[in-house]
Amino acid sequence: MKRKLWMLGLLVMGLFLIVACSNDDGDGEQEKDTDEKTETSGDNRTLTIALGSDMVTFDVHDHINTSTEAIHVNMFNYLVKRDNETGEILPDLAESFENIDDLTWEFKLKEGVTFHNGDELTSTDVKYSLERVATGEELKDYTNYNQIKEVEILDDYRFRIITHEPEPVLLNRISRIASGILPSKYIEENGFDHFLQNPIGTGPFQFVEWVRDDRIVFEVYDDFFEEKNEDWDQLVFRIIPENSTRVSELLTGGVDIAVNIPPADWDRVSDHEDTYLAQETSNRTLMIFLRSTEGYPTSDQRVREALDLAIDNQAIIDSLLGGAGVPTITRVAPGNFGFAEHLYDTYNYDLDRAKELLAEAGFPDGFEMTFHSPRGRYLQDAEVAEMVAGMWAQIGVTANIEFMEWSNFVELRNAHENEDAYLLGLGNSMFDAANGLDWYNAERFEGETDYRNDEVEELLAAAMTNMDLEERNEQYIQAQELLAEDVAHIVLHMESINIGVSEGIDYTPTMDEMIYVDTITRK
Amino acid sequence: MHYFLKRVLEIIPVLLIITFIVFTLVFIAGDPIALLLPEDATAEDIAALQAALGLDDPFYVQYGRYVVNMLQGDFGTSFRYGEDAMLLVLERLPATIELAIASILVAIMIAIPLGIWSATKKNSSIDLLATGAAVLGKAMPNFWLGIMLILVFSVTFSVFPVSGRGSFSHLILPAITLGTGIAAEMTRLIRSSMLETLGQDYIRTAKSKGLRTGIVVYKHAFRNTLVPVVTIIALQTSTLVGGTLITETVFAWPGIGQLLIQAVNNRDMAIVQACVMVIAFFVIMMNLIADLLYQLLDPRIRYK
Repeated sequence: MKRKLWMLGLLVMGLFLIVACSNDDGDGEQEKDTDEKTETSGDNRTLTIALGSDMVTFDVHDHINTSTEAIHVNMFNYLVKRDNETGEILPDLAESFENIDDLTWEFKLKEGVTFHNGDELTSTDVKYSLERVATGEELKDYTNYNQIKEVEILDDYRFRIITHEPEPVLLNRISRIASGILPSKYIEENGFDHFLQNPIGTGPFQFVEWVRDDRIVFEVYDDFFEEKNEDWDQLVFRIIPENSTRVSELLTGGVDIAVNIPPADWDRVSDHEDTYLAQETSNRTLMIFLRSTEGYPTSDQRVREALDLAIDNQAIIDSLLGGAGVPTITRVAPGNFGFAEHLYDTYNYDLDRAKELLAEAGFPDGFEMTFHSPRGRYLQDAEVAEMVAGMWAQIGVTANIEFMEWSNFVELRNAHENEDAYLLGLGNSMFDAANGLDWYNAERFEGETDYRNDEVEELLAAAMTNMDLEERNEQYIQAQELLAEDVAHIVLHMESINIGVSEGIDYTPTMDEMIYVDTITRK
Repeated sequence: MHYFLKRVLEIIPVLLIITFIVFTLVFIAGDPIALLLPEDATAEDIAALQAALGLDDPFYVQYGRYVVNMLQGDFGTSFRYGEDAMLLVLERLPATIELAIASILVAIMIAIPLGIWSATKKNSSIDLLATGAAVLGKAMPNFWLGIMLILVFSVTFSVFPVSGRGSFSHLILPAITLGTGIAAEMTRLIRSSMLETLGQDYIRTAKSKGLRTGIVVYKHAFRNTLVPVVTIIALQTSTLVGGTLITETVFAWPGIGQLLIQAVNNRDMAIVQACVMVIAFFVIMMNLIADLLYQLLDPRIRYK
């Protein structure tokens, strides 16, 4: 009996050791990688970045996920890229581009650009990539690209993009998520599944391995078509979902950069001698959508304006967001086409006037309303909702907040069961007012918010296909002024991007929330 | 052998019932499309993706399709990753097994000496201390304990790495986090089981024969407490699974627990189903192994 017990014990120990020594590759490589990583981190040739969630896929057309794209931008290139400072569209894979007529854009590729397997980039790759997403209905980014009718190849380096309708926003469209150019020959020869397991692009870093929910490793691509970075040989994205663990990794030097630092940990990161907090205004606006449906108090412009005047936007930013965030009256931020400067970095706050307006609208004693809010989706969302409700209480409006889990919240909206108001944060990867202001489109929001302003409708429709960019810009600014006057919805503030960085590294986050490793240098 | 075969065949209906329950719960919980598309998706976008993924079919059609495919070995494709769900789960299985075994070992290493010690020194200060430690161990949530261990041993003293999987040192903190709660329960059980055994006539006989206390305790008494200990270890497998969900997330441990949490958050039905199937299979197998171990530990037990 005793021997049997010993054997049982040994069996369990043996099993444990086998599993402990094994890993996803089954050959102990991972342990070696980790040791190597620690070693190279010492002389800073490996950059380790901690993300909150894993990459979804290497299928650039099928994710619509900002943090996935933040990884992809280091491995794939777009035809053109947006300058994050000026908003100007600059060449990337394309050397030059020209608008031929309302429906046609002509591009010329840079020569000598190679994929990570050595194949040269040609117009065929562009045709394959853009037409795949423009026609693949099952792809998640299909609706952002189905405006493209076809890509017409002129020769190996020249091609034309033809759209169904005039597309003033085409250049913005092809400089964002799902615009990465894929290697058509490699995919044709090996199949798409092979590509997903062994992806190649034209970017500064090439794929090494992806251990799901753990790490994605890249190494520098020596034949990158632009200047090779001098600081990093290896790039590792580590997946650390728990906020406090991610911060601890940063503080102990386990990672060099950690994204999404929660406000509760800002001081920990800033006060630590080896780390600092890098903040930038994002392109995400936090808003309160109001129902203009007949029968709701918020269908009256005076009530909407009163609710807006009762909110001290700066107080929310100061007390809940540590001062990081910008109050705004419009959701089109700087760097976006159609930006109205006079409506940005400002807000309306006047409690007395708010009370007067409510009385004029027939609610001298206020009223009761339902306010839906997601929890944990946006920076301090639940806290913001509570503070707003507190501010509304000052003018006699009782807002009953209903916090909802995200998918239930989306279903509520889809089923048009939302009540007086709901809180929502909106990004805009297109960096164009067309996307931002589509949220005021009467037809799209019929039954949900029921807001309609015919003058705004006309302006938005005209601007959508207007190839005269100056006039288009004016149309969007005018539309935003009308919307602000009408207080269609309440715009609170632009959220901040909050990234923890090791002292030895120079990094400034960009508004588009991408992580361009080429711009990250050692001090 | 007949008994073993019967128990193995019983797994099939149990797993089928589990698939139905999980499928129904995930179906009721909400539409995954909401989570796959961005905030500005239009009603048409939603309808198009629903149709493309077959989510516009009624419940019984979706479930029927799932069961038929499952019986052919196809557990579906993850909505989020677009890959075979079972492969994604199996890919992460070694990490979870590694953590689970390490946690059980930690629990055994703490619970057996502590349980025996407190039983042999009943009502002494050591017993009180061990009982207190067991209550504390059970009361501390994994989530809190994990973060505290990181703060103390990784951030303050830099003894262990904060998170991730790789070297042996990566395993220690998550194993302690997960093993502590199990150890607490095991300690209490071993103590009471030992106390009961120590009061038996044969123990008195052994003592009166003049055998050394060590031999009486470890050879005569402890062996007879093993049956309930094995039971509790087997039963703890399900607790362990619950624990891995949290521990894996806190320590960024790339196992099934973390995958399941994300799949539930994303309503990724195929992954949730595949995870639950694998977990259920393991829990059932652990119970079966425990039953078989009883025979080994106590020759009086025989299954027919």
